[in-house]
Amino acid sequence: MADYKALPHWLAVWIEIIGQFRLPSVFFAVCRVIESVRVDYEACSKPFMIVEGEMKYQEIFPVPREWVQDIDEFMAETVTRWAEQEVIAGRLEHAEDYDKLLVPAIRKLFIDIGLQSMLWPEELGGGGLGTPEAAMTVATVLEQVGFADTGIGFLYANSFALQHAFAVEPHRNGELLQELVPVFCGDEVAVGSLVLPGYGSGNPGEGGAFHGLAYQVAAESRNGGWALSGKAVRPQCSGKTAALFAVAFDAGDGEPAVVLLKSDDDGLSSGEPFKKTGLAASLNADLDLKEVEAPGALVILRGEERFREMLSVYYMCCAAICVGSLLATYEILKVWGDTRVIKGKGQEFKENPLVASLMGEAAGGIATSRVLTYNLARMLSRPDIYGPPGSQATYATATVIFKHVTRSAMLSMNNTMELMGSAGYATEWNLERYWRDVKCIENSVIPETAARVDLARHFFGCRTL
Amino acid sequence: MRSIDDFTRPVEYLSPLDRSLGEILRNWAEKEVIPNRREYDEDWEEHRLIEPAFGRLMAELGLQRVLFPEEVGGWGLGHSDYLGTGSYRMFEEIARADSAMAVAFGVVFWPLIMICNEPHVNMRLCEEFAPMFCETDKAVFCANAMTEPQGGADIENMDLLKGSTIETTAVLDGDQWVINGHKLWPTNSGGVADLFGVVCTTSPGSIDPEDFAFIFVPGDAEGVTQGKPYQKAGMAADKNSDIWFENVRVPSWYRACGPGDDFKYFKEVICLGSMGTVAFVSGAMMNVYEILKGFCEEKTYRGRPLKENDDVAGLLADFVRDLEVIRVIGYQFARMMDRPDLYGDRWSEEMVVKGRAFKYFAADKAVENLGLVMNLMGAHGSDRVRDVEKHWRDLKIAQLWMGGKQLCQMEVARWFFECETL
Ligand SMILES: Cc1cc2nc3c(=O)[nH]c(=O)nc-3n(C[C@H](O)[C@H](O)[C@H](O)COP(=O)(O)OP(=O)(O)OC[C@H]3O[C@@H](n4cnc5c(N)ncnc54)[C@H](O)[C@@H]3O)c2cc1C
Repeated sequence: MADYKALPHWLAVWIEIIGQFRLPSVFFAVCRVIESVRVDYEACSKPFMIVEGEMKYQEIFPVPREWVQDIDEFMAETVTRWAEQEVIAGRLEHAEDYDKLLVPAIRKLFIDIGLQSMLWPEELGGGGLGTPEAAMTVATVLEQVGFADTGIGFLYANSFALQHAFAVEPHRNGELLQELVPVFCGDEVAVGSLVLPGYGSGNPGEGGAFHGLAYQVAAESRNGGWALSGKAVRPQCSGKTAALFAVAFDAGDGEPAVVLLKSDDDGLSSGEPFKKTGLAASLNADLDLKEVEAPGALVILRGEERFREMLSVYYMCCAAICVGSLLATYEILKVWGDTRVIKGKGQEFKENPLVASLMGEAAGGIATSRVLTYNLARMLSRPDIYGPPGSQATYATATVIFKHVTRSAMLSMNNTMELMGSAGYATEWNLERYWRDVKCIENSVIPETAARVDLARHFFGCRTL
Repeated sequence: MRSIDDFTRPVEYLSPLDRSLGEILRNWAEKEVIPNRREYDEDWEEHRLIEPAFGRLMAELGLQRVLFPEEVGGWGLGHSDYLGTGSYRMFEEIARADSAMAVAFGVVFWPLIMICNEPHVNMRLCEEFAPMFCETDKAVFCANAMTEPQGGADIENMDLLKGSTIETTAVLDGDQWVINGHKLWPTNSGGVADLFGVVCTTSPGSIDPEDFAFIFVPGDAEGVTQGKPYQKAGMAADKNSDIWFENVRVPSWYRACGPGDDFKYFKEVICLGSMGTVAFVSGAMMNVYEILKGFCEEKTYRGRPLKENDDVAGLLADFVRDLEVIRVIGYQFARMMDRPDLYGDRWSEEMVVKGRAFKYFAADKAVENLGLVMNLMGAHGSDRVRDVEKHWRDLKIAQLWMGGKQLCQMEVARWFFECETL
């Protein structure tokens, strides 16, 4: 395991970069609306620090502190400053504009801050975090990214889960890492996108089923590699812009495998981005695959256990983004609750017992979601204690936590919107954006029914489902 | 084949016009709205696509006249026995295509209720305003300006606060009202409205119902400024904005019903808002049913059509169960609006409270069910092409507007349990 106490050279470079990140806080946008509220901006820049005098979400909502290492905290702080400077400040002017706001912010996060190459060995120009403990690091980081922009978090969740399959011990694949250095350690943003099983379309060419869900591509073994075909294949994100797709397929007898396809591979084409509820950072589009050939070396995993591991990591990442969005929701509701008046003049909103009970429910959802997500990250980062991340048990826990967090995020956001009346529905207050974004994550990562049956299979031993 | 027409309605309540009106509106929706509605979100500011569809509905088909008495060129719905059930059907059919259009359409009637409905028809004002609506080939809109920056719920909390938080003032100066104030959010603002019904006070802070005033203000009156439309989560076909009234002068007889009666009959406006909300929910959910049925036949799970899986079928059943219940409740409340002789005055506290209960039940169920449907649809749930996500975004506001859910809860508890301090 890496010794996180000894900070590697590239951190020094980071410290230089983050020196420039000194902009106002996450409260900035909201405070412009409610001018009467004064906020300690400096304090907002430190995700895990206890700030004397003023209670911030960082200290109110519990984190199992002993699991968070210096490196995690440091990176989360860096990303918090990125969030403030690159996203939140710019949002006032550019709302969700893809080219003006999101593309530059993604570039800064992926390339300048270096999340894109975080798992790559230092000698290949990466961050050297290719151990299971990267799961905890990414949880702390994605929380901050999700706080700023759920969609950007979602792109990174996909990229991270894809890379985790071959860049993290004990599955580190040196040859593949070497081959993909130009993609992930270069100057261009490289988003990786997962292509997971989903509902079938009943077409004859469809590629087998994994626990009832159909593989979106049919695969044929060819020249030691694979030829993949599929129509209207829906990636999780960025169908139009991703550099790589990690495509799940049936490697024979229902055995799941995942192969990397490059966006410029022969036979692979993407349609126009489709409109959707949220996640503006993801220009998603369906793919057509006409016998796209991939060498066997690009198969990043094979077998149920490895596939479950990838999904568990992905679910954890998605949960962490949602926690970040929940923390943003909390801040918005806090300002509202402190300043709004109902039931006649002078009646402070949060002092009304009915609204307080809803605020309490929202807070409870945020607190449990945060603790659960860190617990899952811990399980994935310490296989020596919790067993292989691809075990049935860990996968079941990951599914439970992902479903719990997304459900309670939607509940809390729905309640918050209720409490804010039309302001909650207005773009100006930002809440509705998080609400739309998290909804996309809730419904598109795994169909509800399939998740439930996955859990029943594990906990109740269903044999035929 | 089962269709949306298989959902239950208490058929003996329906107006004689129900079938033909329903058909006209369904044809209009299929032709003018459904093919374009996926582009509406991008059209929220300009209404380039939305306006022509309104033009056809309101001016060409003439539906903007329905409430006015026949004597002034209207269709007389306001003094028929079918104000509730007739409007419900119209709102439902329009909401099946687009609930924001249904709201914008419904709000054309909303303030006019104060002057067009029996037994409080204000013939002088009907004569004054009817030509705007009945003698034109353009769509004409009203807005009902209640909400103010300090809070909309308090203004609708009439039983408890009795208008005491209203800050928009009306001062009588000779034979004119002088109106000053700042309103937010009215449907059909943002430059759309030609006529406002403005909730104001003649004595700020007063709890005397006589000081509650409902005054009509033409959109082009001097001193009226409508802001730019707000961008929101959904409801693109409904524009909402700030409105400022600065020393706006209107004739003294533009007050709808007069001291005491404005307060009293405004509760009828609230009841229509609650009924309309249930209709918007049932219309949109009927469309979701159609979409979901197609989706569950097209997609497979475990090698079978989605709907042939027991676990999926359980969720589908829950969805239609709730839709059945909402629709029956909606028509029941519409009937209660139609027959004050059986159910009591449309402006009674009892009607307000029952309407609130039905409204928040329907809105809660809509948000819950549409969220579940999106989850069931997996990666296609948030896809605009499927239209479900649009209904989900649109219907969320049904929970929030008209004072929000918590106001509904308080009013319902106060009436049924005779709470005294809430
Ligand atoms: C699409 C759309 C259309 C609209 N159309 C119109 C229109 O035509 N005319 C118009 O005037 N307005 C309209 N509105 C505004 C809307 O009706 C108000 O926003 C709504 O009444 C709530 O008022 P508010 O936003 O000021 O929230 P507030 O009044 O501040 O209330 C916020 C929340 O406080 C809580 N609350 C309030 N009172 C109580 C209480 N007594 N007890 C417990 N909790 C309470 C509730 O949770 C409530 O949701 C529209 C809004 C939208 C988005």
